[in-house]
Amino acid sequence: MKTITVTVNGTDYEESVPERMLLVDFLREKLALTGTHVGCTYEGVCGACTVHLDGEAVKSCLMLAVQADGHAVTTVEGLAGADGLTPLQRAFSNHHGLQCGFCTPGILMNMSDFLARHPDPSDEEIREGLVGNLCRCTGYVHIVRAVREAAREMREGASGVSA
Amino acid sequence: MFPSPIEDYLRPSTVAEALAALERYEEGEAVFLAGGQSAMQAIKSRMLRPRCIVDLQDLGELRGITRAGEGLRIGALTRYVEIANDPSLDGALAALRDAASHVGDRQVRNRGTIGGSVCWNYVASCMPAVVLALGGTLALAGADGSSREVAADDFFLGPLETARREDEILLDVRWSRLAAQSGSAYRKWGLVRDALPVVGVCVLVTLNGDGNCAAARVALSGLAGGCQRAPAGEAALTGTAGDAASIAAAMDAIADSVETHSDQSADADYRRQLIRSLGAAVTRTAFERARAA
Repeated sequence: MKTITVTVNGTDYEESVPERMLLVDFLREKLALTGTHVGCTYEGVCGACTVHLDGEAVKSCLMLAVQADGHAVTTVEGLAGADGLTPLQRAFSNHHGLQCGFCTPGILMNMSDFLARHPDPSDEEIREGLVGNLCRCTGYVHIVRAVREAAREMREGASGVSA
Repeated sequence: MFPSPIEDYLRPSTVAEALAALERYEEGEAVFLAGGQSAMQAIKSRMLRPRCIVDLQDLGELRGITRAGEGLRIGALTRYVEIANDPSLDGALAALRDAASHVGDRQVRNRGTIGGSVCWNYVASCMPAVVLALGGTLALAGADGSSREVAADDFFLGPLETARREDEILLDVRWSRLAAQSGSAYRKWGLVRDALPVVGVCVLVTLNGDGNCAAARVALSGLAGGCQRAPAGEAALTGTAGDAASIAAAMDAIADSVETHSDQSADADYRRQLIRSLGAAVTRTAFERARAA
């Protein structure tokens, strides 16, 4: 067992964990943050477990919890602030960017990192950014639309134009 | 799957500490973890059952791309995202960006490292073939304080096998002098976008004063034997002007000379066809980049 200190969604947690515990299991089982999903039995292919590690989208099934010691993790529970849902979350609701919703947390985490680096993406760039997130329901059309609309709203918000 | 029990987790802050950590265990019982995008898969599937994980994340000295004189070094812990986004990797090194920008997906590119990829040397991976085609040199440090440089031609020994000894760590991939008037390119084909390569082709060409090919290096990924040079194609490209007929003849020479295999992704004939079509495209791009260099 190792004692680790991880900042998750702005709160510092000190926990004792087995060395072999995956980060995704630490989040779900130790911290009860079950918004981070496991879609592919930990094979690293579905992207449902995507979280931010120090602000970058990573798959939390491809890391040990002990590797996150000293780092900051953001999960889907940490996206919305005091002023409510983010533009990306609102866009997924408004444009119905989901059906069953299982893949949605991972997509939100990946796309929030993506939009921070690509504020004005083309549909092709959005689709390329989504390669690491499997959605078995939607065919991605509404997801791409939601990301595109979120980007537009975020740009207009940044430039002071009312959306 | 879930890792087998791990007894210890170490996070050294220097190369010397990392090498010393390995020495505390029998060979193979402690493993280095770089970005972990391949190693964690092997650990979870229990192909690797390490007693100890030596996490290299604090070795800042192994990160980043540095130019020194006419040469260049890419630290072993430099991530795909950093390689993909470095516009100074052009001309002779442009294939590194071609490959790094399409490894896996953006989550994988945020963690995976060039050093981890070349040391793992999986058959269906891009970086080993690219480093081989670009004629890089791999700098290794040993626990006894030794250091040595191994040419890529001598480093990749076969699937999951390299010349790195268990008690050595890869410091960087380096080029002491980048050839002028050179261009490189890499492309792969996989079952879905940015997937593991069923076949990948990397080409480096160096032009002479007349604009003809003075030297060429070609390497392939996705073949059962592991990443490998394609000497028949290199010889066929040398001396040509990079015209369509010469390129097609060179790719035919490669397709006819390498051993391809059939599996659930593609049969042997299809792999040969991929070599021809991908190879022609990347060779054209390599010539264009060399002319612009």
